[in-house]
Amino acid sequence: MRTIEELRRSGVSVEPAQTIQSCAAIMEQAGVGALAVVREGRLVGIVTDRDLVRRGLAQGLPPYATVNGVMTSPVVTVDADADLDAAFGLFRSHAVRRLAVLRDGYFIGMISVDDLIVDIASDLRDLSWPIRSEVLMPQHDGPAPS
Amino acid sequence: MHASIGDRIIIHGHRSGEPDRDGEILEVQGDDGGPPYLVRWGESGHEAIFFPGSDATVQHFGSEASGGGSRC
Repeated sequence: MRTIEELRRSGVSVEPAQTIQSCAAIMEQAGVGALAVVREGRLVGIVTDRDLVRRGLAQGLPPYATVNGVMTSPVVTVDADADLDAAFGLFRSHAVRRLAVLRDGYFIGMISVDDLIVDIASDLRDLSWPIRSEVLMPQHDGPAPS
Repeated sequence: MHASIGDRIIIHGHRSGEPDRDGEILEVQGDDGGPPYLVRWGESGHEAIFFPGSDATVQHFGSEASGGGSRC
């Protein structure tokens, strides 16, 4: 099982005054589903593509509305040097799909539920290999030592 | 990861069939060419601060022909 740093995806941040249209365009062009909202270097919120739809488009906000009106704050975060179990605990206790990863209190990226599931699935596949071999292949024991 | 102004940042697709994304580094905000970077995404000109993870690669300016680059 890998560490938070190894599983960490790239992060993109915007300022609170960025428009929601600009945020949507950045998400599309950078291929990310969430942006960190950072003010003077400090994480103040997170906005997801879902937030833009439900809190922005569905509420009739104009494209030039600022992202600080639709972001989620405070943000559920995990330290980059924390044990992966810390991430598990946060996902278990909070209804979120992503955690913002911090180092020395500064945002450096994201980790998602999907990342953990894929990592676990890979470990399970490795563990199951000898068992699968035993189940699928006929076993022929050699003679007992005399 | 080390980058310079003018380098391209590549975010590799996370899902099967998902294309890579790229942007141009406008500003290096970390020490010694380190992250984060101010990146201009796509042709629309939208800019945002980028923190590279394991899914990102830097393509150094002028290295496209030689295929040079560095991975975070």
